[in-house]
Amino acid sequence: MEALSYLKHFKEVAEHEIMHSGHVACPGCGAAIAMRLALKTLGRDTMLIIPACCWAVIDGPFPYSACSVPVYQTAFETASITAGAVRAGLDATGKKGINVVAWAGDGGTFDIGFGQLSACAERNDNIIYVCYDNEAYMNTGIQRSSATPWGAWTSTTPGSDYKKERKKNLLEIMAAHRIPYAASTTVAYPDDLVLKFRKAMSIEGFRLIHIFSPCPPGHKALEKNSILEARYAVESRVFPLYEVEDGTKYTLSMDPPTRPVADYLDLQGRFRHLNKKERSFIQQAVDEEWTRLMHRMRIDEAL
Amino acid sequence: MQKVLTGNEAAAWGAMCAQAQVISAYPITPQTTIIEELANLVANGMLDARFIKVESEHSAMAGCIGAQAAGARTFTATSSQGLALMHELLHWAALGRLPVVMADVNRAMAPGWSIWTDQNDSLAQRDTGWLHYYCESNQEVLDTVIQSYKVAETVDLPVMLVLDAFFLSHTYEAVHIPSQDETAKYLPPYKPSIYLDVKDPHAFGGIVQQDVYMEFRYKMQVAMNEALEVAEKADDDFREMFGRGYGLIEPYRLDDADYVLVTSGTVASTARVTVDDLREKGHSVGMLKIRMLRPFPFEKVRQILSGRKRVAVLDRNICVGMGGIFTQEIRNAMYHIPEDKRPSIYGYIVGLGGRDVSPEVIASIAEDVQKRAVADGEQVWIGLKE
Amino acid sequence: MAQKPIIYKSWREMPLMTASMGDTTINKTGSWRNVEPHHVEQVPPCSFRCPAGNDVVSFVTLAAEGRLEDAWRVLAQTTPFPGTCGRVCPHPCETECNRAQFGEAINIHSIERYIGDLFRDNPPELKRPPYTGKHIAVIGSGPAGLSCAYQLKMMGNAVTVFEAHSKPGGMLRVGIPDYRLPPDVLDGEIRRIVDMGVEILTDHRVGVDVSFQKLMDKFDAVFVAVGFTNSRPLGAEGDDGDDVIPGIEVLRRINLGMKDGVGDKPLVVGGGNTAMDVARSLLRNGRDVSVIYRRTRHEMPAITEEIEELIEEGIEITFLATPVEVIRENGRMTGVKCIRMKLGEPDDSGRRRPVPIEGSEYIIKADCVVTAIGETTDLTFLPDEILAKTSWNIPADELGRTLFSKMYAGGDVADGAGTVTAAIGYGRRAAIAIDASLRGEAIPENAAVSPSLRDRTGYVVPFEEINLAYFEELPRLEPVPLEIEPRIKTYDEVRQGFSEEDLTREARRCFSCGTCPACDNCFIFCPDVAVIKVKDDPDKFYIVDTEYCKGCGLCAAECPRSCIVMKSVR
Repeated sequence: MEALSYLKHFKEVAEHEIMHSGHVACPGCGAAIAMRLALKTLGRDTMLIIPACCWAVIDGPFPYSACSVPVYQTAFETASITAGAVRAGLDATGKKGINVVAWAGDGGTFDIGFGQLSACAERNDNIIYVCYDNEAYMNTGIQRSSATPWGAWTSTTPGSDYKKERKKNLLEIMAAHRIPYAASTTVAYPDDLVLKFRKAMSIEGFRLIHIFSPCPPGHKALEKNSILEARYAVESRVFPLYEVEDGTKYTLSMDPPTRPVADYLDLQGRFRHLNKKERSFIQQAVDEEWTRLMHRMRIDEAL
Repeated sequence: MQKVLTGNEAAAWGAMCAQAQVISAYPITPQTTIIEELANLVANGMLDARFIKVESEHSAMAGCIGAQAAGARTFTATSSQGLALMHELLHWAALGRLPVVMADVNRAMAPGWSIWTDQNDSLAQRDTGWLHYYCESNQEVLDTVIQSYKVAETVDLPVMLVLDAFFLSHTYEAVHIPSQDETAKYLPPYKPSIYLDVKDPHAFGGIVQQDVYMEFRYKMQVAMNEALEVAEKADDDFREMFGRGYGLIEPYRLDDADYVLVTSGTVASTARVTVDDLREKGHSVGMLKIRMLRPFPFEKVRQILSGRKRVAVLDRNICVGMGGIFTQEIRNAMYHIPEDKRPSIYGYIVGLGGRDVSPEVIASIAEDVQKRAVADGEQVWIGLKE
Repeated sequence: MAQKPIIYKSWREMPLMTASMGDTTINKTGSWRNVEPHHVEQVPPCSFRCPAGNDVVSFVTLAAEGRLEDAWRVLAQTTPFPGTCGRVCPHPCETECNRAQFGEAINIHSIERYIGDLFRDNPPELKRPPYTGKHIAVIGSGPAGLSCAYQLKMMGNAVTVFEAHSKPGGMLRVGIPDYRLPPDVLDGEIRRIVDMGVEILTDHRVGVDVSFQKLMDKFDAVFVAVGFTNSRPLGAEGDDGDDVIPGIEVLRRINLGMKDGVGDKPLVVGGGNTAMDVARSLLRNGRDVSVIYRRTRHEMPAITEEIEELIEEGIEITFLATPVEVIRENGRMTGVKCIRMKLGEPDDSGRRRPVPIEGSEYIIKADCVVTAIGETTDLTFLPDEILAKTSWNIPADELGRTLFSKMYAGGDVADGAGTVTAAIGYGRRAAIAIDASLRGEAIPENAAVSPSLRDRTGYVVPFEEINLAYFEELPRLEPVPLEIEPRIKTYDEVRQGFSEEDLTREARRCFSCGTCPACDNCFIFCPDVAVIKVKDDPDKFYIVDTEYCKGCGLCAAECPRSCIVMKSVR
């Protein structure tokens, strides 16, 4: 029964079904859930700009599409600028009231599209940029990206060569652009996701939503555990849910009961090779990042 | 209205006449004054357009793609390295059937850095599915921008118009500028048949399997074939309305000429003067200017060159390991005509990296081609320090 | 709605560029699947354990939604006594409640009590079938008898209840003190049964005022529910005096407004509810009462709250001791000789058997002994040929059928279960058997199963299958009882009921184990839009679209309450 109140905002958009069955996402795909929930919130007056990423495939082969809103597939690195330009085209032709949404994976966001993303943010292009982050190049077969976390196995960080670099902190980088809205969310908390899309829709300018999106084949996790994994990512503080407005105003969306990072790691085969020391290093890093985040939240008070 | 404009300014004013709605561009020498002029035109209200000041040429083209897909008329300009960086998206615009219009100021490729003209940048993009115009004068630049939209929007393919660095880009000429209203009578507003529309949603660019990919390529080929006629008519209509036209190719004093100099860009202007000189000296020489490289005006070129003795093709470019690119195009066009009508075709590499192609250089080629024994396919490098 | 495939025969038919012309529903991803979800109604432990057969999870869920009349209707299907049960039932539903392992068990009895009280005086109309023409006699107006009468009436039969006492209610009336069950609650709930048309003849003792055989002859069926009427003897030397009084007799006297007939310093013997009730009543009657029990507190059969409240009220319990001899001086009791016990091996009931410690006798001062060491039946009203086939009870199956046609029995007289709820359940089940047999119909195979569980195909939901992510660890709400000092001087009800706000809050803590309340989790988390919401079907909220379900199992994993199971695809 408590689940009902927990889904207050979702209830209001539950009836909108803009994504179709028959798409070709893997079973248990977090990105498919993310798209479905996002479209429910965004509604039909929405255009999706999708670069090379899993969703470029998921949407279905010609002449079919899983989304009943306009979709423009674009080159890997160009989601942000293409979306910004679609907005310019709409403005130039007098079309109003449309959500222009760039929908990109972590590769297209953290790596190849990073320059364009930064430029778009700096120009404050009037779009919603969504990065569904599955923490590697999943579409091409699980190669490491700069969104891959420390310690993870990928097909290009195999064996003892597991990733030795930290994950890039996208939200902080974007906040540093002083964009009007940057937020993290994940599929385990539909209400949070709906709320953040709604908030983004109410703001003009460059808005970024970073969605942690479990990938069963890429994380070597059970299909049925995608939501659990996303929940544990938040509860273990591996992926904190928060918002940054105008680059300065921080709001923590959820202060979950602390769960050991081990619970999160244990759900995923990509961390299986890590020994106790390495696992505790991850815990330590997560704790530190959390502390830093808490300090950033309070920096306004200091000023 | 008539104004004294540089070639770059003429390109910008062409976009203004055509009422481009979205401009997406990034500065590079020698293109910069195009976008500066556009920025002025937008800033002072003469052009009602959104100008996306992007962070790279790659994004400049992505910007055109996005805006064009949303149903807006777009314009951009670049040069050399910038064009090369765009390469991926040139394919995207063409396969996406987006009638983007772009000016490329021909500039030699690095390294080392050269800001001076040659055609290697644009010719490296020959196979991306764009239409290519090579312009000779500032007026032609402005007029070609307007014509480009007409053709592009009819056949749903993008157009690249090329002007030489500095010889045109930074050289002033008097240019007639039609008003936006006059231009609009020639060029109606952009109305794509299919575009991003929330009321009629389509997903563009999804996966295509082996069973249909070829057909999409074939449709581009059909469109390119149509484009020859469309471009011809667009030029005729333009001439009728504005009193100026250029043809897809332009023969100069060819009626009785045994020897033909094939040129493009500003070299054509120099060649015109040189041909006049040579005629006075009794040489049976004429010139053929190639204005449209893609689609290649096959029939017209064949017709014009058929029955000539010798053809000298001046290439301000080099396909290393093969030769001048225009030479290859001309040879290809002439292969299938009867042997007795087929001229010998000689390739001359000239003016790379902005080296001057003077009347003397052109005259030496005209003389060389008359003397040379066999057309053996060897490229003749003119003015090379041996 | 799936569409037809789009097939291009010529490049001319194809769009300008790769623009979609249809949606992906063409692609039947259901073929990827090797397991698939099934929405099932599992068995909630509360409903499973309710002896009355109440649909606990449903009335709690409805209460949570504020649909109190609907909640009452759910209760009315299985019990005429929600207000009563909400007070006196030992609530095994709460013992089994999965919430007990995450916070505390739901306060189910307070919810039931609230709903019962709310509609007690203005009960909503219930639909009944037309009169069957059959007339059934019920002997005893306790919970078993009235439950059976109520159900039979609901099924369209005429019912006459024979009650020996002057007021109806049986053990509810005479065995439970007013501070636990105020008379207006019982009166109200019985009034509803009478208002439905059930005839209750009080002061009609079968075997005295009317013969059993006459009932058998006159009525279409007879349901015997006379309950426990006699106390077990103390079994101590000198226990035959009138200063050794059965506890249920004391309670009967008090409840019927008579003098209790007990001395100033009574010793109550026993550890069950009767012992607690009689001791606390005597405290209220101003007696210096104490209790003696031969085992430890752990083995006491009384409801835990009753024991706690008795101790709170200052009554002393002597554990591990039992009377062996009543000591009298000049015919007046001065004390009771007791012997200390220790716990030995477990007996049949599973409790450890008390064993006397030799030589440990001692004397407790008392002027009166009240026995509450168990009750038994009095079957002497039965004709000899029937009596011959009985033992301490009337043997009957779970549907109340005895060895004799037309004769049914239920409640304590049949099973000795000793709780109101068990008696209500027995009466209800017997009514099903009686009605079916009078109609000449076969008794439904699952008649003994609680109605709400008949269609549930699953298993009893274990705690491990509750997805705690969807629940908050909230404490149980418990109404504050009356202060000890004033309450032990009156028969005012000790335990208080919920406010409406607390009712809703408490009901909302319910996991709704195995019972789909349409929370939408399966719908929300399906990556394949393959869980479809069903509209306008009260029994079904979702269907799985097998054309597209890829079998990922997220719906089952994220069901908060184990309503979805994954099964292999055949």
